[in-house]
Order: sequence, then C-alpha cells, then structure tokens
Amino acid sequence: MWKYILKRLIQMIPAILITSFIIYFSMNLTSGDPAMLVAGEKATPAQVEQVRQELGLNDPIVIRYLKYMGGMIRGDLGTSYVTKQDVFKTFMSRLPATLELSFASVLIAVLVSIPLGIYTAVNQNSWKDTAGMIFALFGVSMPNFWLGLMLIVLFSLNLGWFPSSGRAGFQSLVLPAVTVGLGLAALITRTTRSSMLDVIRQDYMRTARAKGASERRVIYKHGLNNALIPIITVIGLQLSNVLTGSVLAETVFSWPGIGRLIFDHISKRDTPMVTGAIIMCSILMCLVNLVVDIVYAFFDPRIKAQYVQK
Amino acid sequence: METTIEKTKSRSLASETWRRLKKNKGAIIGLIFLVVLVIAALASGFIYDYDTQIIGQNISQRLQRPSSEFWFGTDQVGRDIFARILYGARYSLSISAGSVLIGLITGIILGAVAGFYGGLADDIIMRIADVLYAIPNIMIAVVIVSLLGSSTINLLLALSVSAATSFARITRASVMTIRGQEYIESANAIGMPNWKIILKHVIPNCLSPIIVQVTLLIGTTIIAASSLSFLGIGVPAPAPEWGAMLSEGRDFMRSASYICIIPGLVIMATVLALNLLGDGLRDALDPKMKT
Amino acid sequence: MTENILEIKDLVVHYETDDGVVYAVNGISLAIGKGQTLGLVGETGAGKTTTALSILNLVPNPPGVIKSGEILLDNINMLSLPARELQNVRGKDVAMIFQDPMTALNPVMTIGEQIAESVMLHHKDFSKEDCIERAKEMLRQVGIDDSRAADYPHQLSGGMRQRVVIAIALACNPKLLIADEPTTALDVTIQAQVLALMKQLKQEFNTVMLLITHDLGVVAEVCDEVAVMYAGHIVEKGSAYDVFNHTLHPYTEGLFNSLPNLRERGEELVPIKGMMPDPMQLPTGCVFAPRCPYVMDKCRLGQPELKDHGQSHFVACIAYDSEDFKLRRNS
Ligand SMILES: Nc1ncnc2c1ncn2[C@@H]1O[C@H](COP(=O)(O)OP(=O)(O)O)[C@@H](O)[C@H]1O
Ligand SMILES: [Mg+2]
Repeated sequence: MWKYILKRLIQMIPAILITSFIIYFSMNLTSGDPAMLVAGEKATPAQVEQVRQELGLNDPIVIRYLKYMGGMIRGDLGTSYVTKQDVFKTFMSRLPATLELSFASVLIAVLVSIPLGIYTAVNQNSWKDTAGMIFALFGVSMPNFWLGLMLIVLFSLNLGWFPSSGRAGFQSLVLPAVTVGLGLAALITRTTRSSMLDVIRQDYMRTARAKGASERRVIYKHGLNNALIPIITVIGLQLSNVLTGSVLAETVFSWPGIGRLIFDHISKRDTPMVTGAIIMCSILMCLVNLVVDIVYAFFDPRIKAQYVQK
Repeated sequence: METTIEKTKSRSLASETWRRLKKNKGAIIGLIFLVVLVIAALASGFIYDYDTQIIGQNISQRLQRPSSEFWFGTDQVGRDIFARILYGARYSLSISAGSVLIGLITGIILGAVAGFYGGLADDIIMRIADVLYAIPNIMIAVVIVSLLGSSTINLLLALSVSAATSFARITRASVMTIRGQEYIESANAIGMPNWKIILKHVIPNCLSPIIVQVTLLIGTTIIAASSLSFLGIGVPAPAPEWGAMLSEGRDFMRSASYICIIPGLVIMATVLALNLLGDGLRDALDPKMKT
Repeated sequence: MTENILEIKDLVVHYETDDGVVYAVNGISLAIGKGQTLGLVGETGAGKTTTALSILNLVPNPPGVIKSGEILLDNINMLSLPARELQNVRGKDVAMIFQDPMTALNPVMTIGEQIAESVMLHHKDFSKEDCIERAKEMLRQVGIDDSRAADYPHQLSGGMRQRVVIAIALACNPKLLIADEPTTALDVTIQAQVLALMKQLKQEFNTVMLLITHDLGVVAEVCDEVAVMYAGHIVEKGSAYDVFNHTLHPYTEGLFNSLPNLRERGEELVPIKGMMPDPMQLPTGCVFAPRCPYVMDKCRLGQPELKDHGQSHFVACIAYDSEDFKLRRNS
C-alpha cells in the first residue's frame, strides 16, 4: 500500500507539469503587457521598459516558464503584480478558509444525503421515495448562490441568527456551509439512491436476510458497504469541486477563500497570482483524488487487491 | 431496403418513447412548462418595448411589491419584473441552448476523431477532456471569460466547453462500441467517408444518451450562465438576464426581498422542468435502466 | 401436532407487477418428515424458488405477495411470525443455500466473517473469537482449509464459494435445510463433489432437506421423496422409488423422456413439445393440458386435484378417474 501511494505521488508530477504548462502559457499569452500594469498608468515608456527588465519579461516565454518552474520547486510562485505580495504566502493564508468551508459543507452533505438516499431506495416507489427525490431534484435545480441569498434573507436579515458575511468563528460558517452542503447533498442523494437500488437487488442481500440478519443490519452492513464505491466517487468529485468552485458562495457570503482570490485577481490580470493559485489547486485536487482512491481500497477488497499487485 | 427498415425502426422508437414519456407525470409537467416559457419568451418581444419597458427606468414606481398591476412587483428603478423575467427568458434559453449546441457539435467531432483515429489524437483529446472534467465548469467559464473579455459570444464559448467534454465522451464510447463491427467495416470498404459513417451510424447509435444529456445540460448551463451574470462577468447590466437581475437585487434584500426571490424561483422552475423532462426521457428511452 | 418438520398447506404466491399478475405458486401442499429429503423438481419458472423463499417468508415484496396458505416449520407458522421472531428462526431453524454461489456472497466481507455472522446472530452469548472459531470449524467441515477464512469471495472458485454458502447455512445446525439448485451453476465434476458433501453433512447434522432441482439425476441420487412442480402446481408427488418406477403424471413422463439415457445411447430424446404457459395467463383447465400428449376435452375444464393413487403416491390428473388409464412408459 505504501508503495502504491508513493507511486501515485510520483505519477502526480507529470500531471502537475502539464497543468502548469497549459495555465502558464494561456495566462501569459492572453493577459497583455504586465509591465504596463505594474509600472502604473502614468509611467513613462522608459519606466515601463525598466519594469520589464526587472520582471524578466524580455526573455522568451519558454525561458520564463522554465525559470518559473524552477522557482516552484523551491515553493516560490512569484510575486503578485497587484498586491506585490508573495503568491505562495497569499495562497496559504486563504487556504484555511477554503478547507474549513469545504469540509464543513461536505460533512453536512454526507450527513443529509446518505441516510436520505438509503431511505428513498429502501422505500422505492412509495410516497416517501417521491418526497425525498423531489427534495433532491429541487436541490440540483436551484442556483446555489440563490439558495445562499435566501438563507441570508431568512436567517440573517429576518431572524438574525447568523451573520450574513465574513469569517469569524463557527457562527459565520453555518450559512455558507449549509448553502454549499445542501447543493452537494442533492447530488449525493441521487447517487446514493441509485447505488443502493442496485445493491438491494443483489443476491447477497437475500443471503444476509436468510441468515436471520435484521433489516437494519442487512441495509447498513451488507448494503451500504457495497453501495459506497460510487458514492465515494461523487463525494471525491464534489470535494475537489468545492475546493476550487465555491467562488459563488464565497461571493455571496464574502468568504475569504481561494475561489474568490482567483476571481478577483483574474479581472486584474494578475498573472502570477492566478497562475500560482490554479496550479496549487490542481495539486490539491490530485491529492484529493489520491485520498479517494485509498478510501476505495479500504472499502473494497477487490480494488485493494489490484493496488497491492501493482 | 435497409434504410426503410431503419426508418420504421426509428419512427417506432420515437413513438414508443413518446408513449412511455406520456405516462410520466413529472416529465409532462416539465414539458408543458418549457413550452409555455418558450412561447412567452417569443411573445414578449411583441408585447413589450425593449427600450422603454424592459430597460427604461421609471423611478416614480420603484420598489412596488407584487400586485395585480405588477405581478412580480417592480425593481429598484421601477421596471416591471414580470416583463423583465419574460424577456430574460430569451437570454437564458438562447444562451444555454446555444452553448449546448456548440458543445454538441464540437463534442461530437472531437469524440468521433478520438474514437476513429485512436492513438495520439485519442490520447490528447481525452486527456484534455479529463482535465476539463476535473475543473468545476464555473471556474473554466470564469477563466475563459476573463481572458477573452466579457461578451455574449465569449460567454457562449465559455459555457460550451463543459458540454463539449461530455458529448465527446459519449460519442467516443459509441464509436468504440461500433468500430470493428461488420457493417462499419463494409461501409469503410465501399469507401464511405468517415463523416458519413458518423452521421449514419455513430450518432443514431448514441442518440438516447445525447438527447438526455442535452436536456440536462441546458439546465446546468442556465444555472452557470446566471452564476456568471451574478458575478458580473456574464450578460452586462441593463439586459434583463435572470442572474443579472438577482445580482442587482442583492442590495435590496432587506427591504424588497422579492427582487431577489423571484428571478431565483424562475431559474429553479425552469431548470427543474428540464431535469424532470431529462429524467423522464432517460427512463422512456431506456426502460432497462429505469430505477 | 405432527411429526413433520415442514408442512406447507395451500400456498398461493403472486407477483403483482406493473405488467400484470404473475401466478407463481397456485395452492401447493407439501410435507417433510424427520430425517427425510424431499426433492422439488420442475422446469425453470415453475415456482420452485418462490416456494423456497416463502418458507423463509422472504418473498421479495413488492412485487411478491403471499396470498394465502400456511407454512409450519416445526409447528410454528412462519407466515404469521412477527419480524423479530422471524429473524430468530431464519438461519437457526431453517437455512437456505442459493442457486448462484458467484453472487450469493457479500463481495466486501471475508468468508470467515460471513460464516461467523451467521453464528453471531443466533448465539448472543458467543464472543467474537468463539464465532470465528466456529466459522473456521465450519470451513474445515466443508473441506476448505481454515487459513482461507480471511479470503474474500473473489479469491475463491465457484465450487469453493458454494461450499462457503453451505457452511453459512449449516453453521447454526438448522432443522431444515433448503437447497435451491445448489449445483446448477457449477461444473459437472464439482457438482458431484458438492452433492456428496451435502449428503454427508445432512447425515452429520441430522437435518431435513428440501432439495430443489430441475435435474432428475440429482433427485435419484439424494432424495427419499419427490414432488414434481409445473406452473405453480404440484402435479405428482410420492416416494422417489414410486415416482421413478411407476410414474403417473404425463409431465413427469415427459421429463424422463427428455433425459439422455446412457445405457441406451442413440435412443432418440423426446423433448416435451411446446413451452410452459405464461404465468401471467395460465390456461383455464389443467395447466399441462396444452402440452399433454394424452389430453382430453374434459382436461380443459379445471385444474385437477392432487389425489392419492395408493401408497401415498399422489397425482393431479383426471385421466386416472378411469381405472385403466396407463402412461405409455408404464405399459
Ligand atoms: N421478483 C419477481 N417479480 C416478478 N416475477 C417473478 C419474480 N420472481 C419470480 N418471478 C416469476 O415467478 C415465476 C416463478 O419463478 P421462480 O419461483 O423463480 O421459478 P423457478 O425457481 O422454478 O425457476 C416465474 O414466472 C418468474 O418469472
Ligand atoms: Mg429458481
């Protein structure tokens, strides 16, 4: 297993190289002349030229890319054109907010969706099933940022229970996490239900009942364990989605996360910041995928056997 | 001879699908809602005058709550929200349908190329698809729109990317299953060009998942488009795009929450209708998969 | 109070599906006495599995509904037992071996755990170690080295998996063992081994067995009594000797005729013509009438009752209302 993890970590390197290559080139080729941006509007052509020298912008782009990669190995992702701060440090300062929101929302999503998915599957075609599925359907049909706004209207403006913006302690985490979490819950509920429906038909469920196992035990011990693989897949996918994709929730709640960081700096053409942040995100997502694969092995001996062989 | 058989087959598939779809209440409700919405969106161009009634300000009647005169109330500059919503359907529907169409065409071409030629082409196309698949489509769109500048065309392109990846996958899988089958070999042997093979054999073979995917993707794209407008990089301001309306209404959440509530409800209802129809189509097209 | 371990009385089971009602079991009665093995024979779709599942009260609902009847397991009516007590009976008093060992085992649990679970569910006083110890003992009993207890089903061959299923079934020493086509999915050579094992274990564990099969060869080898099932009805039942040597029902005769005969090779096989009726639209008369070579007009009037033809040999065929009717096989 350790060998497998090591191998996967090594395999991540080319993936990160390719991603960083694509991002670096597309960012640098499309965002105009950064020297003008850095030097400021009133700068004379000579000043702009000087800035260009300092930033090494006169080198061919391939050379710049190689230098950039060289810096990356040392944890140096350059300096923001706009804030003049270290990109890596800025990213790291935003990371905790993003991780906090991601984990809280995935936790909420899992707690809601897995029991609900099981419940609807077990009661297939009854009104309970229909009610659960309608809930999930509403969830996937709703713009998530709108859900956030509605929660603010209700719980913040009218009831005053939670703050509507900012990040200050547990109170302020509740609404953003519920917003993102319910959106995810809808998706995971649908997956859980269909996966459980598959499993419920299996012969080994009947074997378990014939042994005298209680319905509860049959569903949770024999059913859920077998239904987990597709569920873990969506959770993994969604986890990497929220890590980088909660820009909307972050906007609605003024949550100082990474999505918002990228969004703000893209419009300011801050190439080093955006490039660095996206590369870091892709590394993060590779790690999440690795964790998901390890979790698979934990739940399914057949997958584990494959890993051990490899 | 062969074509007539195929024709009757596909006709009976269509009528059989329709027969099953009719039994699905949710799908029919969704379908009716969408038909009404499309008609209303088309009609709105004749009923309302864009310059005066849709974007023209009328401060004297600002922030009026929903009433018999203004069904959905008026916004912060006195525009009739109901009229804007109807008019806005044109944006939301055409942008999402347009970008899904672009995605459909590029996706089919790329998927077919990957499937037919295999090797390096397949590797490159599918690896890129994998990368794009792993990035949330909102992020892709944000990056593309920011880099290319915000305009309706760029918005369409940005939103079509994630549609293209999923159609490329479907098409490629379809090519893989029929490649090497005898009738394709013989079509090849008589010198039928690949694009004809794609039109005659590949697309009919994966029509069901494509239809379902188109329906569902139009829904997600409506949400994505409104999200971008909400972020301020979608359809620009005075235009009555649903997401833009929501974004403008944010400042009035406390005093006039309906400005925010209504566009959101409309987006949700539309996407819900598309999802109901899509789920119904999936069950009707492939009864074995029914859960 | 009877001496019978199992008694089924007038069991009726339907599957109420969207497309219509499947008349799977239509009023059958069976009994198995102490120490006996009853063979339940019939084509695929005859309703054998449904009957077996009814005994455990495990017919999948929906769509399956047990419409009426009584199932007495050691004089306890399985059909009126509350869920909790039903769980106590399942696996302990009656256990079942399923047709397909490839799918009957949970792929994400070790085989040891799966056998131990059976023990644990019915011996609340056992510690975890006790249960595992017992599981290993069961593995040895069915001829698998106990070092394989930590293996997962995918690591075992089909024959081995069926042995594990047998071990699970016998782990709590049930009074009744139901084996639903236990060898159908196995290779021929493995079939013989598994059958021999079951025969031997039945003796050792002193259980009663209901053996479901479509293979008359298996019946001849293992069973004391035979019941022949067709389209949800028992058409003939009696001792294995009588049914084999004094066959009464035309359907049973058809089954024998369609069997290859090793001693007289080259003899033509005579398959039963036609197909089993659609269980959603059973014929109004005798269910076998459409395929029966001896069919008479009055056969189409109603399903004949199962009548004793002497020495507890029952047949459901009105041709026997006339004294001198004989099957070709017997004349
Ligand atoms: N879950 C089910 N739903 C609907 N019909 C079923 C179901 N299970 C069995 N049947 C039908 O009931 C009849 C009897 O099936 P079964 O008891 O499995 O027969 P056998 O075991 O003798 O092959 C068959 O026609 C079968 O199609
Ligand atoms: Mg069966």
